[in-house]
Amino acid sequence: MAKNPARAISMNSRLDRFKKNVLLNWRLYVFLLPAILYFTIFHYIPMYGVQIAFKDFYATEGITGSPWVGFDHFSRFFDSYYFWRLIKNTIILSLYQLILFPLPIIFALMLNELKNGPFKKWSQTLTYAPHFMSVVVIVGMLVAFLDPITGIINHVITSLGGSSISFLTSPEWFRHIFVWSGQWQTLGWGTIIYLAALSGVNPELHEAAKIDGASRIQRILHINIPAILPTIVVLFILNIGSFMAIGFEKVLLMQNNLNAETSDIIQTFVYQTGLLEGQYSFAAAIGLFDSVINLTLLVIVNQIARKTSENSLW
Amino acid sequence: MKLKKLFIVLMLLVLILAACSNNNSSSDAAEEEDLDNLTDSGLPIVEEPIELDIFAGKAPATADDWNDVLIWNEYEEMTNINVNWDMVPHEGLSEKRNLALASGDLPDAFHSALIPVPDIFKYGQQGTFIPLNDLIEEHAPNLKSILEEYPEVEKAITFPDGNIYSFPLIYDPEFSALRISEGPWIREDWLEALNMDVPETTDEFYEYLKAVKEGNPSGDESIEEIPFGAQSINGLLTYLKGSFGIGNKGKGHRFIDLDPDGETVRFYPTTENYKEMIEYVHKLYDEGLIEENIFSISPEQFYANAGEGVYGSTYNHSPAELFPGEHRDSFTGGLTLEGPHGDKAFTGISFPSSTTGFVITSQNENPAATARWMDYFYSDEGAELFFMGIEGETFEKTEDGEYEYVEEIRDNPDGLTLDQAVAQYLTWPGGQYPGILMEDYFKGAEGTESSKEAAEKLEPDFIEEVWPSFTYTEEENNTMTSVGADIEKYVTEMTDQFISGQTPLSEWDTYVETLENMGLEQYMEIQQDAYERYLSN
Repeated sequence: MAKNPARAISMNSRLDRFKKNVLLNWRLYVFLLPAILYFTIFHYIPMYGVQIAFKDFYATEGITGSPWVGFDHFSRFFDSYYFWRLIKNTIILSLYQLILFPLPIIFALMLNELKNGPFKKWSQTLTYAPHFMSVVVIVGMLVAFLDPITGIINHVITSLGGSSISFLTSPEWFRHIFVWSGQWQTLGWGTIIYLAALSGVNPELHEAAKIDGASRIQRILHINIPAILPTIVVLFILNIGSFMAIGFEKVLLMQNNLNAETSDIIQTFVYQTGLLEGQYSFAAAIGLFDSVINLTLLVIVNQIARKTSENSLW
Repeated sequence: MKLKKLFIVLMLLVLILAACSNNNSSSDAAEEEDLDNLTDSGLPIVEEPIELDIFAGKAPATADDWNDVLIWNEYEEMTNINVNWDMVPHEGLSEKRNLALASGDLPDAFHSALIPVPDIFKYGQQGTFIPLNDLIEEHAPNLKSILEEYPEVEKAITFPDGNIYSFPLIYDPEFSALRISEGPWIREDWLEALNMDVPETTDEFYEYLKAVKEGNPSGDESIEEIPFGAQSINGLLTYLKGSFGIGNKGKGHRFIDLDPDGETVRFYPTTENYKEMIEYVHKLYDEGLIEENIFSISPEQFYANAGEGVYGSTYNHSPAELFPGEHRDSFTGGLTLEGPHGDKAFTGISFPSSTTGFVITSQNENPAATARWMDYFYSDEGAELFFMGIEGETFEKTEDGEYEYVEEIRDNPDGLTLDQAVAQYLTWPGGQYPGILMEDYFKGAEGTESSKEAAEKLEPDFIEEVWPSFTYTEEENNTMTSVGADIEKYVTEMTDQFISGQTPLSEWDTYVETLENMGLEQYMEIQQDAYERYLSN
């Protein structure tokens, strides 16, 4: 740094400015402190445990004391008979969920067009409600409704002259049931951020557009959507960041030997080998593999978004 | 510059934290036990009271908190050892147990914790669980004499390194109802209504199921009879294996048995016999003779259906004890079926001991006292205390010397079932405890008259020898948990798919080929080695 005094000075002056800034607004930084502590303690410090993915973890030796085995656990996972099935199922399920990403946006735009009245309030409350139900209850409802003999859905099908379908044990149906029941549960909740963004749209714009003779659809397309586009992009990138992280409890609860063909995903595999069979190192290796994919996707999508739309996470 | 320094300081902090968290695991070795505190023999066990922290699995049927249960308070006074029970419900048991084992913060012992056999060996080798051979020799006279009487039990609980790591659960080998535990049951009144006898061959069984479906034996138009229903398809397979000449070494081994040549271990899910059995079950399923959602049914739903009296047959514990509703007493035990090639054997028997009882950890400061504490339950008085409780309070002896729970438990005024009433005083309901189970003292579902009668019917066809779970070396275990787990998972999935018809049986050759490509040969080499080690143990 001594070789480049100009840069050193600029560094120093930047640091000085930072210090001044902190002194001036210290109250704001105190607000920030809990979040920083939380992430350091619960998310950064535990990362040193990731090393067990490259070790043979022995409880008595501790994390640092266990012997190194290099990439053994990774190659065991890649060589596993179920490797491709797990990857395929995880990706398809994730993609399926991702395709439905616009649904809450459309729903939010529709809600936004409603006049503030009891109907709007009711529709919001009704669509938020399922969000608060636990996964176990949701799966219990699915099992009850979709039962081949006693389920209401099959009653309707048979009374219309069809033959009953065993939804829960057929691999073809698993993805649809999983994704659409998930949509039913989260649709209303997912609109909240968009509605907040929509409420920030300047009403003058709408008035001006009305005077210019713009139809409702045109106003949505040319005022509302551009207004919430940054929100959409950021949420989309965040979604991609958890691309491979499917709500595994629900998959696990819906899984059985007959639909395993499509319902066996990386997370349920990690749960079975890691927690139930106690193979921590192996499970850590798979988990790490998963995270690396997520991180890579996040960086790529963020890069694309920055280049094309000027909206991005960083 | 300063930012860089800050970064370095942060990194150092992380490293220090990492080092700190590692410290507690290196000081595992317990202090030398004060053996002078032990009494010479019998009760109490120690002069000065001591405390033990024990991790216990809580089955749904047992009391919520063992610290408040009659038996353990009584036993504390008898022994001078106070146990602090840490109860962990079965739903989260494997997770909690594994986390406790991985964290290094160990209790003094694990009781009823369903620890899988490979784990016992793994943690035994790592030094987390201590070897018990010397402790049993010196401080467990009751267990020692049982092991001398039944050398096959000692063989079964000894691991490849020659050590015993857990106090087993031993069944009285003569107590067949318990060794079957679950069995076939047929609706007796429907047999009468259909004018049929209890099926004795696979063909007759098919005829019966068919008749139930078509003949409306309940005489009630509103009831849609389900010829066979169970909590999973596995029970039916266990029932039928003996009729197709496979599974000849008991239900502890779901994939291997002894080849008819008498020497080698056989992987039976690829045999023609297995294929024939699958074909038979597929036929039943296809014709609607098996509950349609048997592959996804929940226990609650199964028992709800059972309460409505729709099942014509099942594979379960005694319905008289477990089914709700008025039809529970209408079932009679089924017979062993003779298969299409004359095979006839009942294979659904377990080995008379299991390894998953009680282990002592390296952090226990009183291993000898703990061993004595446990050993009492292998004696007659101990089994009496454990299963019957205290004379006058929970049980009484009848005139002909039989044991019987007191009126309040047998016929509870609050309408509790036997298990529920017992659970207020004793902790055996729910199972999986260490100790010895003897017919005289055991009054659970398998000890009732209906279960014993049903077991007697099957007994003449019992397979001769039952293998215990095999134990594997660490290296073998690595293969068993990777290649082995994949193979077993594949067989289980494909079996269900063949039965349901999701995969047609014409795919059978592909199935066999896939298994071979998955490393079946390697899997079988390990099983063969484990079998030979068991023989020479």
